[in-house]
Amino acid sequence: MRILVVDDQPLNCTLLKAMLEQQSYHVEVANDGRQALDVLQSTDIDIVLLDVMMPVMDGFEAAPKIKQLAGDVYLPVIFITALEDHASFEKCLAVGGDDFIHKPFDRIILSAKIKAHARTRKLSQEAHLQKKQLEYHYNQTEREHEIVEHIFSNALSQQVTFPHHCDFHLSPASMFNGDMFLMAQSPMGGFYCLLGDFTGHGLAAAVGALPASRVFYTMVNKGMAVNDIAFELNNVLYSLLPGHMFCAAAIVELSESGKSISAWLGGLPDCYLIDQEGLLLRTLESQHMALGILDEDEFERNLIHLEVKPDQRLVMATDGIIETESQQGEMFGEALLKTVLSSTPLITTSDIIDKVHTFSEHGEQQDDLSIAIINCIASEAHRLEKPIYSSLPFNFSMSLNANQMKGTDPILELVDVLSQVEGINEHRSNIFLLLSEAYNNSLDHGVLGLDSEIKNQEDGFFEFYQLRERALANLSDALIIISARYCPDSLCLYFSICDSGNGFRNKQSSSTELLREYGRGLSLLTEIAQSIKYNHAGNEVEMVYSLQ
Amino acid sequence: MSLSKNASADGKTLTIQIRGKFDFNLVQSFRQAYAEVGEQTEKVVIDLRETDYMDSSALGMLLNMKKTLGDSIGSIHISNCRPQLKKILQISRFDKKFDID
Repeated sequence: MRILVVDDQPLNCTLLKAMLEQQSYHVEVANDGRQALDVLQSTDIDIVLLDVMMPVMDGFEAAPKIKQLAGDVYLPVIFITALEDHASFEKCLAVGGDDFIHKPFDRIILSAKIKAHARTRKLSQEAHLQKKQLEYHYNQTEREHEIVEHIFSNALSQQVTFPHHCDFHLSPASMFNGDMFLMAQSPMGGFYCLLGDFTGHGLAAAVGALPASRVFYTMVNKGMAVNDIAFELNNVLYSLLPGHMFCAAAIVELSESGKSISAWLGGLPDCYLIDQEGLLLRTLESQHMALGILDEDEFERNLIHLEVKPDQRLVMATDGIIETESQQGEMFGEALLKTVLSSTPLITTSDIIDKVHTFSEHGEQQDDLSIAIINCIASEAHRLEKPIYSSLPFNFSMSLNANQMKGTDPILELVDVLSQVEGINEHRSNIFLLLSEAYNNSLDHGVLGLDSEIKNQEDGFFEFYQLRERALANLSDALIIISARYCPDSLCLYFSICDSGNGFRNKQSSSTELLREYGRGLSLLTEIAQSIKYNHAGNEVEMVYSLQ
Repeated sequence: MSLSKNASADGKTLTIQIRGKFDFNLVQSFRQAYAEVGEQTEKVVIDLRETDYMDSSALGMLLNMKKTLGDSIGSIHISNCRPQLKKILQISRFDKKFDID
């Protein structure tokens, strides 16, 4: 504890210094107010004993300056005075003095007063320190919020918008308040969107949005079904969120043709199918518990399927809208929302939000106002990029024995290999069909000697595959050779499949017979392949498939 | 390769989704999938969004289903086909017997 004694009389200074040092205080001395301020600027002082009458700068002038220098922490200023009148006391207090001590000094009173003020100063110092810590943490939190908000707004911001498909409104701060709206288009052209409302507000509510959005975008990109997306989101949120948190959501897919809607609805208010005039055509009620509540086994995947027309619209909203209160405490409610929807043809989300604000008489917003309207229209045709084809020729072949025919699916593996070649992947379904038909012809009719006439009989289709299974199990000596060649100049794939059978139709080889025999399979092949040629024996087929 | 089925919330739509390869390996499970179509089922959806490959046996299976279910249900939709599969269905004139979406 360091005490500053400010007095112009050396005797007083010496006396006080001696008394205080006796009580183990450190003592600094100044002879006027100016000197006192100099000492205060260079030394940590805990208590100032200040004389009133001094040359250069007296106590009345010095006191407010000392207080100012001390800043937020309490620095006791105790006046040393011989004055006895009330006016002087008042002035001492008015300029910032905290107490008095009278000359001549009473040792006990001096000691008591110094102790009392020292305690107060200590409390003030502690409070100041805590305040500084609080400020630090507050700033830290603010900063982290800013960072997280930045990350979230980037992660959730719509890379692509679909102005024709969807009109939506999210409150400006809603990202941090737990509402999210995601849209994406699948490779097949289906339009997907997700409106979600996390329980609670703030950072905790928003945390789930990041993984959820990743799952959504990834799965839409793969063209997955809505209930699979819901299932996956549920798993992610179930494992991630604490038990009391979940996400009410509506996940909707509008097919590429715009003719059908699949929806998984969990925990959000009713969705409405309306026409252009806003007339309510159908109410879609939530079917499920919100995401993140049920475990994998309990999760329900049931969807709602709707067939829709191009002039129809699907409206979905979080509970913020219907729960908005007027100044009189009335809720906006579903009935009013339906009325508002039919108030204007082709109503927009901003029209609806305006009505909600008018209803609440522009009172403070209680919850997020999130709403989306989907127009049931077909997707615009995809523009395909010009494909790039590999410029390297290759050829390879595989010879399959009976065991390999039993245990494997050679065509699938072969197509998987071919798909790795640049430019071929886009054609894999066709190539699979070609090879699969030809291989199965070779196997079923060439090697196994089955008659596909069975397929045409009542229930014969199933019987045929049972026969096939049995024949395959008993197969011992057989060979099928599959060759594939790619020519980058002609951009064609040349396949040949040759089997060890007797030739499937070497007795009758008229093309009409072939067609009837192989029916659907063959006519398909002729449409897809550039050319198909059987050898005379009928145990080898050559096919050309053009990538162009 | 797998097959899953789902009834819609109102029980009116049965969705059969086929993943990977749609061929005769599914002949049994595909038959079972539509065997339980009840009276309340109005529509069957064959969802091919995750189907990469199909061959003529798949076409045969679809026709068999059509034959079995006959008029007992309103419509059979084949939906979310990839472009090449859609073309295969069109070449086979399946658009005459099924709603291809």
